[in-house]
Amino acid sequence: MREYLNQIIAIVRKDFLTEMKTRELFSSMFVFAVLVIIIFIFTVDLSITRSNEVGPGVMWVAIFFSGAIGLNRSFMLEKENGCMQGLLLTPADRTAIYFGKLISNLGFLTLMEAFILPVFMVFFNIDLLPHFFPLLLVIFLGTLGFCAIGTLLASLAANLKTRDIMLPILLYPLMVPIAIASVRMTGKILAGEPLSEMLNWMGLVLCFDIIFTGTAVMTIDHILEE
Amino acid sequence: MAEENSSKEISSSPGGLFWLTAGTMLAALIAIYLWVPTEKNEGIVQRIMYFHIPCAWLAFFAFFIVFVSSILFLWKKEREWDIYAHCSAEIGVVFCSLVLVTGPIWARPIWGVWWVWDARLTSTLVLWLIYIAYLMLRGQTEAESTRARYAAVVGIVGFLDIPLIHFSVLWWRTFHPKPKVISAEGLGQGMDPSMLATLCISLAAFTLLYCLLMGRRVALERTKDEIDRLKREKLYSS
Amino acid sequence: MGQLGFLFVANLCVWGGIFFYILTLKKRQAAMEKDLLLLKEESGKDGD
Repeated sequence: MREYLNQIIAIVRKDFLTEMKTRELFSSMFVFAVLVIIIFIFTVDLSITRSNEVGPGVMWVAIFFSGAIGLNRSFMLEKENGCMQGLLLTPADRTAIYFGKLISNLGFLTLMEAFILPVFMVFFNIDLLPHFFPLLLVIFLGTLGFCAIGTLLASLAANLKTRDIMLPILLYPLMVPIAIASVRMTGKILAGEPLSEMLNWMGLVLCFDIIFTGTAVMTIDHILEE
Repeated sequence: MAEENSSKEISSSPGGLFWLTAGTMLAALIAIYLWVPTEKNEGIVQRIMYFHIPCAWLAFFAFFIVFVSSILFLWKKEREWDIYAHCSAEIGVVFCSLVLVTGPIWARPIWGVWWVWDARLTSTLVLWLIYIAYLMLRGQTEAESTRARYAAVVGIVGFLDIPLIHFSVLWWRTFHPKPKVISAEGLGQGMDPSMLATLCISLAAFTLLYCLLMGRRVALERTKDEIDRLKREKLYSS
Repeated sequence: MGQLGFLFVANLCVWGGIFFYILTLKKRQAAMEKDLLLLKEESGKDGD
């Protein structure tokens, strides 16, 4: 067990060290997310529609779009430098590679969200602070589900020639439940409803997280097979 | 040699299955257009139901077969299961498209709009997108072994997603005023026995049609394999 | 027209769709069988 945890930690550490050196991934994700929000502000007339209703959707679209970029990048780097080959040659378990990648993707995306939330707050004139903790939980669960299925599909798409386009095409229809649930829950929280009002959505997202992490663990052996 | 003969037989001469399917289909058509009484509220256009629902059933059934074959492929690693998954996905997408086309044609005269973001229609649309992506993935992976493995993973993930999609889309819409027509549609209960019987015949006919199409499609894939094998042999021998 | 028209169009779509799919299957099968025959002939020649 210790051995297994060490393997995961080693992979996460490697990813974060690379990122600290280049800062490529984080900056591109963040700038892209800001751009998505700005494009939405230009195209959706916020003076007519109330920002409380449109806001959560825009925020999650920004997260999902930049998240897909992050997922693509994270496996592209491994591929380009032949790093994937090296990873597969190490005695590390395949599922450990998956969990390592999942955690580092989750880490990058969470970091990006921490920066994008203030931007969102300012642009949409929404005060997030009174609902901070429920919001944190909802965002974490949604991001976890996104990364769980995203990491699985990205590891698969990395070996395709057209990976840039195939990842979103595969990923977006599959994460419809997460998208709907996250946007709904965020909207309800911003409207001041307590978490107990949205237990069904919470259950749905938890089911999604568990089912797809489980499926990924069971099938990752077949994908990371050279 | 024996294998070649059997594949020839499937591809050229219509067998018992073909005549059975044709007969059931004819019976279904007669039942739909001549026998079953017209529904009082919706009028004659309601007859679309008798092939709209079987198409939807067929699509779901086909995707279920993809799911099962994908699991069996990952377990046994036999090309056979990969063929079944691929063929079933293609047939499923064809019938899913038919559902998505007939849905709006039925909705327009009854509800007055082409498209309602109703739970069933929306989940069918998402499902269609998932399996289109599945087929695209198959088209874009060159190596045969990787293609089969990747597709199997997506086939499993896609099917497991169906209940989640269904519930999310269902709850998504309950926050808005629900069009009454949809809830009144209730399947099975409150349906005239003759209508139920017609639907059953139609379902049987479409299920047989699936078997027939599947047989043809699998034979096609086998021929393709045979060609690949011969080409490879030729490449190595020269 | 009205309702009958919609019913007709729906029918056209379903049967047309199924028919078209079967037609493409036939076409693909025929093309492949032609290929197969050609390949077999060639390999037969090589064998001689």
